[in-house]
Amino acid sequence: MSRSGDFGEFVSGFLVEAEEHLRSANGNLLAVDDAARKGEVNPRAVRELFRSLHTIKGLAAMVGVEPIVDLAHGMEAVLRTADRAGGRLSPAAVEQLIRGSEAIEQRVRALADQKPVPAAPPLLLQALVELEPSESPSGVPPRAPIELDPELLAKLTASEHAQLTGGLGQGKRAVRVDFIPSAARAAEGISITTVRERVSALAEIVKILPVSAPRTEETPGGLRFTLLLLTTDSDEAIAAAVTTTRAAIQPLTTTPPEAAAPPGPPREAWLGELDGEDPKRGGVVRVSVGRLDDAMEKLSALIVTRSRLARAVAALAAEGVDVRALRQIAYDHGRQVKELRGAILKLRMISVRELLEPIPLLVRGLRASTGKSVRVEIDAGRGELDKAVAERIFPAIVHLIRNAIDHGIEPPEERRRKGKPEEGLVTITCFERSNTQLELCVADDGGGIDREAVARRAGREIPRSDAALLELLSLPGLSTRDQATKTSGRGLGMDIVKRLTEELGGELLLRSSPPKGAGTELTLRIPLTVTVVDAFTFECGAQAFVVPVAMVEEIVEVDFEAVVKSPMPLAGGFQVSLMERRGEAVPLIGLHSLFALPEGGATSTKALVVRRNGEPFAFVVDRMSGQQEIVVRPLSDPLVKVPGVPGVTDLGDGKPTLVLDLVALSGTLSGKRVEASA
Amino acid sequence: MAEILVVDDSKVMREMIVACLRGQEGLAFTHASSGLEAIEKLSLKPFDIVVLDLNMPDIGGVEVVEFIRGQDKLRDLPVLIVTTRGDEATRARVLGAGASRFMTKPFTPDVILAEVLGLLSGSGAPG
Repeated sequence: MSRSGDFGEFVSGFLVEAEEHLRSANGNLLAVDDAARKGEVNPRAVRELFRSLHTIKGLAAMVGVEPIVDLAHGMEAVLRTADRAGGRLSPAAVEQLIRGSEAIEQRVRALADQKPVPAAPPLLLQALVELEPSESPSGVPPRAPIELDPELLAKLTASEHAQLTGGLGQGKRAVRVDFIPSAARAAEGISITTVRERVSALAEIVKILPVSAPRTEETPGGLRFTLLLLTTDSDEAIAAAVTTTRAAIQPLTTTPPEAAAPPGPPREAWLGELDGEDPKRGGVVRVSVGRLDDAMEKLSALIVTRSRLARAVAALAAEGVDVRALRQIAYDHGRQVKELRGAILKLRMISVRELLEPIPLLVRGLRASTGKSVRVEIDAGRGELDKAVAERIFPAIVHLIRNAIDHGIEPPEERRRKGKPEEGLVTITCFERSNTQLELCVADDGGGIDREAVARRAGREIPRSDAALLELLSLPGLSTRDQATKTSGRGLGMDIVKRLTEELGGELLLRSSPPKGAGTELTLRIPLTVTVVDAFTFECGAQAFVVPVAMVEEIVEVDFEAVVKSPMPLAGGFQVSLMERRGEAVPLIGLHSLFALPEGGATSTKALVVRRNGEPFAFVVDRMSGQQEIVVRPLSDPLVKVPGVPGVTDLGDGKPTLVLDLVALSGTLSGKRVEASA
Repeated sequence: MAEILVVDDSKVMREMIVACLRGQEGLAFTHASSGLEAIEKLSLKPFDIVVLDLNMPDIGGVEVVEFIRGQDKLRDLPVLIVTTRGDEATRARVLGAGASRFMTKPFTPDVILAEVLGLLSGSGAPG
């Protein structure tokens, strides 16, 4: 790094941390929004929000992204004021904070996409500044009778005090417990960091204070940490988390509201829960998808080596050598390679819960823009999805939720008339349907779909089944609305949802007026993983094909004048020609003859060169049409499985296009391969 | 070998600070991801200097400094505060609590290196 300070190499690290902080900030924004609408306060969420923004600001300053610094700075000022007022924020302030968070998010995304980062919106900055002085001096809550050493009590801020009294008001117990660090405990992995983590699973941490103590046997480091907590959990559980005894837990109130807080079922020792899958505790390493792809590619090479090994063993066996031991090793090796592949695939998975995290904020925005009263319930289950699938399906999920709120849920007065609760409900449930497929369902308790209106607009008969209704709804550009709405636009956009789902090899299902009464239910069935590759698209015999870019060594012009007939045909009797390429004779294979396609005329002069076991093969095509990222849907049905055709893809025209593995295809043609596997 | 305790809840920020300093021979680094962890590490092992962020969960840099200055054996430990714009109001507070020096992000590698070397040589920092 230069001395003058170019922190560019830290941008990717910044992006990772900024995303984490934004996610946490959005969760806290929802919490303060909820509190503000109820006229309550949530001092802890305000503090955490402040801290997230402050960290983002500091990092953005280091990597030189001023617009983010400006936004975070403006938001921070509002939050600082709120913190001093015991966490009090007006709904208007929350609104601006949410806008601010969105603006930061957009800029982080721009930075990630290596696009120019737009300046901070001046109107938003202005609005944040104008919010700032609205500090209400009366906002400081009265100090509750909390029993604590005056010295410790003095260290609590107004908002921490408000948090304690608020917690007591909700029937929680306020307790104090000390943790004493030592070198011996540190060696066992017990530190204030791990204790804090354990305790945060059982209690709301209000404050942790370091307290100097004389260096004695009891406090070897001359230090103890005093933890002030709000909890409904048992003293035993807290004591176990802090590695102390129950007697060390002191209540912070003279009259502990025992009745209000029945101790929950005793928790198992915390260490026993370590093997759980809570990523917050397990320690998370973020890895770029590129690195995972790299690992996968290396693994592919290993798989090729593995099949060479199998062939070598077969060849030895054919010579009469005793290969039993070798065969066992090859078998174990094969299994291990497969397991390794599974492990790498698993690294690419993200939890559905994480995927759906932005949804509550989205619904909040829709509530504001549609004026409808609606809440969302999410049951994400334990499902996981490949990141590539998650990224592709997320827009479809957002679309379904928009539709549900915009078209499904009725306005409050209409719901009242129908005798429904004024607040509409959108539920999102997700579960793993099988070990390859996930089902995600978006349901609303709205008015359902007006079949007649849909039929009228589409100029078709009234659909009798839900499937037929979905078919109509998925016609491009169809809308049952006369006016475009701000939320969903004019069309329902169901055609887009359907296409996104089908591109992934998934399914879209509709249930209008499901059994529970009115409403609409849309279900996405999507594969857990897909393979995404960069591919060349080309035509041959008036048919489109794709081939992964990584497979192609070169695209060459074929000089048909210089092509000669090969003296001997390849396996399967294919007649090939030979062309000269840098002093090397390369077999030239027409894809037409291979797939028995009609000749495309004499215009074809392009060939794709691939290499198999060091030998080049050139495949003549009619026309190269471009390069794009494709999602490969594997052909796993043994009845349709063809060597050299690992899968199909959808190029956006809704029709399946064959993905060719030209290397494997050349293998089926290579005389050597035929000999070896014979 | 001078032992430096780098305290910041942001891992990237700690890495940036270390990247600024690691070119200098004779420096060894220990990371702490919170004020609590810093205090714990300070109570269990001697350090020659602390590079400290102000805004951290649970307890901030000011409280860490207050704690350090309240401990006999840590009374003379140099503490360099590295913090973000907007914390200027805290400057007087944290220097009053006993922090040795105060610098604001963004900083450049040569500035933080000069500060650290100045504090290590016991002469305070230049300028």
